[in-house]
Amino acid sequence: MDPEEDMHDARGESSQEEEDFYSEGYPSDGEDEDDDGDDAGYDFVDNDSDDPSTDVRRLQQNYTTLNEENISQRQADDINRVSTVLSIKRWEACVLLRHYNWSVSKVHDEWFADEENVRKTVGLLEKHIEMPNKRELTCGICFENYPRDTMKASPCGHPFCFSCWRGYISTSINDGPGCLMLRCPDPTCRAAVGLDMVDSMASREDREKYARYLRRSYVEDNRKTKWCPAPGCEYAVEFVMGSGSYDVCCKCSYSFCWNCTEEAHRPVDCGTVARWILKNSAESENMNWILANSKPCPKCKRPIEKNQGCMHITCTPPCKFEFCWLCLGPWTEHGERTGGFYACNRYESAKQEGAYDESERRREMAKNSLERYTHYYERWAANQSSRQKALTDLQALQNEKLEKLSDRQSQPESQLKFITDAWLQIVECRRVLKWTYAYGFYLHENEHAKRQFFEYLQGEAESGLERLHQCAEKELQVYLEAETPLKDFNDFRTKLAGLTSVTRNYFENLVRALESGLNDVGPSNSQAGSNQAACSKSSSSKSLAPGKSKSGKSRTGGAATSSRSGSSRGMDDSIWTCDSCTCTNPKSNSHCQACDRHR
Amino acid sequence: MQASRARLFKEYKEVQREKSADPDIQLVCDDSNIFKWTALIKGPSETPYEGGVFQLAFAIPEQYPLLPPQVRFLTKIFHPNVHFKTGEICLDILKNAWSPAWTLQSVCRAIIALMAHPEPDSPLNCDSGNLLRSGDVRGFQSMARMYTRLAAMPKKT
Repeated sequence: MDPEEDMHDARGESSQEEEDFYSEGYPSDGEDEDDDGDDAGYDFVDNDSDDPSTDVRRLQQNYTTLNEENISQRQADDINRVSTVLSIKRWEACVLLRHYNWSVSKVHDEWFADEENVRKTVGLLEKHIEMPNKRELTCGICFENYPRDTMKASPCGHPFCFSCWRGYISTSINDGPGCLMLRCPDPTCRAAVGLDMVDSMASREDREKYARYLRRSYVEDNRKTKWCPAPGCEYAVEFVMGSGSYDVCCKCSYSFCWNCTEEAHRPVDCGTVARWILKNSAESENMNWILANSKPCPKCKRPIEKNQGCMHITCTPPCKFEFCWLCLGPWTEHGERTGGFYACNRYESAKQEGAYDESERRREMAKNSLERYTHYYERWAANQSSRQKALTDLQALQNEKLEKLSDRQSQPESQLKFITDAWLQIVECRRVLKWTYAYGFYLHENEHAKRQFFEYLQGEAESGLERLHQCAEKELQVYLEAETPLKDFNDFRTKLAGLTSVTRNYFENLVRALESGLNDVGPSNSQAGSNQAACSKSSSSKSLAPGKSKSGKSRTGGAATSSRSGSSRGMDDSIWTCDSCTCTNPKSNSHCQACDRHR
Repeated sequence: MQASRARLFKEYKEVQREKSADPDIQLVCDDSNIFKWTALIKGPSETPYEGGVFQLAFAIPEQYPLLPPQVRFLTKIFHPNVHFKTGEICLDILKNAWSPAWTLQSVCRAIIALMAHPEPDSPLNCDSGNLLRSGDVRGFQSMARMYTRLAAMPKKT
C-alpha cells in the first residue's frame, strides 16, 4: 500500500464518512457483515502495521534479555562445561571462569597452553594435601586445639576450626565481591577457597549473598552481558558482538545502547552522546554564561551582571568600588563631562581606537555559542519531556482508557492494539527526535547544504509526528466519550494505523540517513562523482518520500526534480546546481536565483 | 567478642612465655583492657633509626583477628610511610592484605621490616618520600637520624 495515498484516505475520511454511513444504514441488520468487515479491517491493519515491525525486530534480535534464572542457568552450564572438559571439580571450574571473566574459550586456551601457570595464578593445587595426621590440631586463627575431624582445610591442608572458617568467610563476603577471590587464611598460602567451602560452612544469609555476587560477576565481568540500566530492573541483556546496532530493548521496555549504557540514542553515536551529556552537566556552560553576561569588578574581580539601571555601578560590599560599566574606569573620573550616566565618551573614543576589541569579541562569541547551545538544548529537553508525557499517557491508556474504549465501541481489547502501537511509535519518535537535536548541535557549521537538508528532514519528522500525536490523542477522545457508529471507528482505525506506519517508515529512514552522516548530500566538489551522488540522493529522497506529509509533498516533488536535474548535470554543462538549496541555475548566473548564494 | 578476647589472651600468654625470643620487640598489654596494647621496637641496624626505641600503640577491634588491629607510632618518626603528625602507618597487611593468621608479634616484625625498607611511592609523609624519590638518600638519612636522636633516644643530661 502506498502510505501517501493512505494519508489522503485518512484525510478525506471526515467528509466521506457521514455519507457512507447513511448509505449503509444502521448496522442492526448487517451485524454479521460488519463483523466480517471489521475482522478484515483488522487483518489488514495487522499486516500493514505489525509485519514490518516484527521484521525489524527479527533483524535486530541480536540480543537476549536474561532474568535471574536464565543467568544462573547459563552460569551453571558454563561451569559444567569447563569442569567436564578439564576434569576438575565444579568449584574449581567456577574459580577459573571467574578469573578469566567467564570466557569458556579463554579458560580452555590458557589452561591448555600452560596449566601449571594457570593453577598457580588462580590458586588451584594439583594435589590435594591432607591435614597433618595428628589426633589434635591447632587452629591457625584462634590458636585453640581441636580434634582433627572437627577441622577443615582447603586443598592446601592448613587446618582451621569451623567457627573461625565461618567468621573468615563471613567477613570476606560482607566486605564485597572480593569474596569471590578468597584465599586460604594462611598468609604464606595462595590456595583458592571456593564455592564448596562457602556452601559447607557459611550461614544461609552469607551463602545467598555469595551466590548473588557470583551471579553479578557473571553479568558484570562477562564481555557479552550487561545489566539493564533502568532503575529497579533486574534483567541483564546478552549481546551478540559485532552484529550491527547497539540499541537493545530490555523486557522491562527500557531501551538503551548496549555499548555505552546510556538510553537508546540512534541516530547519534555514543561519542556524541557522551559529549552532549557532559556538556549538559558541565560547569563550562556556567562559565560561558558568566563570560557572556557579566564583567568582573575592576577592583575585586568578582563577576557582576548588569540587569538594569545606569552605567554607574557600585560593587556590593565589602568592595563598594564605584566604576563605569562601559570603560570599567573609576566613577570619580566620570560625570556630565563624559556623557552622563548613560554613556561614556571615554569608552566611545577608546572603542574607536580598538582598545576593547578583544574582550568584547570574546564576550560576543561566548554569547552566540551559548545561544546556539540553548536553542538545541531546549528542544532536546522539550522532546525529552514530551516523551515522558507520552509514556505516562501510554500507561493511562493501557490501565484504563482501553477498557473504557472497548466498552464504548463494543470491541475486544485485543483489537485495539493499533492504539497502543501508535503510542509506542510516538514514544520512539520522540526519542529519535530528541537526539536529532544533539546531532544538529554537533553538525558542522560550515556544511551548509547538509545543515539545511538536515533541518528540512527534521522539520518534516516533527510535523509528521505532530500529526500522529494529534490523531492518537485528540481524535481518540471522541470515541472515548460517546458511542459512535462502527464505521467511524473503523475509519479511525485505518487512519491511525496508517499514520503509525507512515511515521515509522519516515523515522526509520531518517535514522538511517543521519547515521550514514547525510552522505548523499555533499557539496558538489567533484563533477565526476556528482552522478553517483545524485543517484544516491534521488534514492534517499525516494526512501524518505513515503513519510512525507501532505505539507511536505510539494517539497518532495521539488527534491525529486532537483535530483533529476542533478543527474543530468554531468552531461549538461549549461546549468549548475546550488550547493545550498539544490536549485538549478543557468551557467550565466553567478548567484543562485532561488536563494541568492554565490555559486 | 569472646573469640577475640580468647585469642588475645593466647597471644598474651605466648608473649609472656617467650619474652626473650625476639629482643627487638617488647609487647605490653594494657593492665585493664586487653584490647589496648603498646609495643616498644628497636630501630633496625644499618638504618637511620638504629639506636632508637619506638613506641607503637595498638587498638584492637572486637572482630580481631578477622579484622586487623589499628597501629600507630607514638614516637615521632621521619619515614615515608608514616604520617608525621598522627603516626598512622601505611602498610598493606594492616589494610586489605590482612590475614587472621597474623599476630601482634608478626605485625611488629612487619613494621620493623617497613622501617628498613621504605616504600617512597606510596608516601604518607610526602617530604620524606620526595627526598628518596629524588635520589637524595643522604638528605633523607640525616633527617631521619635527626628525628631518631630527638625523639627516640634517651635524652643525655
